[in-house]
Amino acid sequence: MEQNQKTDVIVAESVTKVYATDGIPVNALNGIDLTIQSGEFTALVGPSGSGKTTFLNIISGLDSPTEGKVWLAGKVLSEMSGNELSDFRRDNIGFIFQAYNLIPVLTVEENVEYIMLLAGVPKAERHERVIAMLESVGLTGVASRVPTQLSGGQQQRVAIARAMVSEPAIILADEPTANIDSKTGADLLEMMRRLNEETGMTFIFSTHDPMVMESARRLITLRDGRVDTDEAK
Amino acid sequence: MILKIAFRNTFRQKRRTILTALAMIVGFTLLSLTIGLSDGAYGNIITMFTRNRIGHIQVHREGYLDKPSLYKTIDNVSAVGEVIQSVEGVEAWTPRVYGAGLGSVGEKSTGIQIIGVDVARETQATRFDQKVVEGSTLGETASHEAVIGKGLAKIVSAAVGSEIVIVSQGADGSIANDLYRIVGIVESGDDATDRVGCYLHIEDAQELLVLNGRAHEIVVIVSNINQVDKITRAIKTQLSDSTLDVAPWQEVAKSFYRAMRTDQQGDAISRLVIMLIVAIGVLNTVLMSVLERTREYGVLKAVGTKPMQVFWLVVCEVVIIALGSICVGALLGVLVNYLLSIYGITYPEEITYGGMKLKTLYATVNVRCLVIPAITVMLSAAIVSLFPAIKAARILPAKAMRTH
Repeated sequence: MEQNQKTDVIVAESVTKVYATDGIPVNALNGIDLTIQSGEFTALVGPSGSGKTTFLNIISGLDSPTEGKVWLAGKVLSEMSGNELSDFRRDNIGFIFQAYNLIPVLTVEENVEYIMLLAGVPKAERHERVIAMLESVGLTGVASRVPTQLSGGQQQRVAIARAMVSEPAIILADEPTANIDSKTGADLLEMMRRLNEETGMTFIFSTHDPMVMESARRLITLRDGRVDTDEAK
Repeated sequence: MILKIAFRNTFRQKRRTILTALAMIVGFTLLSLTIGLSDGAYGNIITMFTRNRIGHIQVHREGYLDKPSLYKTIDNVSAVGEVIQSVEGVEAWTPRVYGAGLGSVGEKSTGIQIIGVDVARETQATRFDQKVVEGSTLGETASHEAVIGKGLAKIVSAAVGSEIVIVSQGADGSIANDLYRIVGIVESGDDATDRVGCYLHIEDAQELLVLNGRAHEIVVIVSNINQVDKITRAIKTQLSDSTLDVAPWQEVAKSFYRAMRTDQQGDAISRLVIMLIVAIGVLNTVLMSVLERTREYGVLKAVGTKPMQVFWLVVCEVVIIALGSICVGALLGVLVNYLLSIYGITYPEEITYGGMKLKTLYATVNVRCLVIPAITVMLSAAIVSLFPAIKAARILPAKAMRTH
């Protein structure tokens, strides 16, 4: 993907999300309009409860908006069935979660391989790509370990490898550095930045971490479920 | 990969897996035991009923079973018997003659059933000699001897050595009467028969009833009771005589057979209750497991696992536990049934079923003891897993990943 041929990968139009907590409606998002282009390295920032994670969930099809529409890679998410959404997420989005969320009974290699397996990638190609990806995230020699045998930083590297190995168009990372020490966080951030530059994948972070904010090329601040500021760096 | 995850998941919560498996193993073993005991008991009863009394198959003149009559006889007994013996699977056959009469010993008289038996064949077919509890069995040649039931002996105050006068009606319309020496007293296991049964040598009975070599019944014993229907059909074909009825024991003893079937249906209800209890236990643990792993299912769905794949993941986990439980349950079921087939369970008091006295309940080891529990455990496990599996498949990823 070339940086100079940018397309709109995510378009959010008047996205509203209302949760009913104990019967009381809570507005998590209040009509967000936002466009994200391919190859961006963007951070969504804002105080807790500002709607960052909700917005990430909605633009990835993990949750549905109460009102409004989201186009992702040209498709309207709300018009897809459960199976279509699963396939779409598998083929187009890589997730990096704050709590890593690796599958505990699978080894590092199997965790990274899992999405390719769902996509029907042949075994030999899977193996080759997994080894290459683990090497690029600095995880050689741990392929046969299970997540509980790894440190937090190593688990997050596995999560990054899992998110990127199938070469999705978009990587959504929810507080990826929250549970790891600052040095590991800096290393991972540097690695993601490098991968963004090398592959042209779109990275969207939800974060409180100043280091991530510093690293992002676009900073979108949410407040009370609305876009407060949107600045390119 | 789904199967791999399911397999490894069963070892994650070892205690819960063991509890779930235990419920299934106990259910399997109990089911296997109830089937083993039920089949053992009924098998024993059927064997006693058929081998000691009615045989496995009977041949009569057409309509005799529905309305027995002195005149409905099989004419060429030996020829019919030879055809029957030629059928594969037939172990033995024996002819019988029946008649009603009045038996008198001294001054006491009572209604009796005259049963004419071919002593050698009857001994081979229904172990007639083993039923004699006092005195001896009938001689192999006709010599005006009688063996009477224990109940009948009590009614007419007869003992071995007493003489019994039998008065009846001959097939030619004459008054039949003769004197016989009681040489033995039998206990057939059926009190009703023993109160009226008076056994004579078949030639003595044919002479008394003026039957001229004819018989009312041919009792057939087969080597494998499970092939009764097949052998019945083969005998019918071989005889190719529309004036003869060939009936398996289930038809001969309709009321006994129906009562037994009703009892067996009662067993099926108790089996269902056992499985319901087990199923509820399994459902509980599987639901707990799904609830605890809500977040994990959410992640699986988030990264692209389809709802149906999550559904199969849960079902596979339960099925894997069920398969393991069936293996262990099968070993236990066979072991328990085998031990009970040797040692049995002795009743505190002798019980009577279908006129037969039973002292010990023996189990049996057969394919049903394994197949029925295996199918029941697997089916109930699969059915029980459906609800948690649907629940897991319908989890909303964003909501699921908010749970801890």
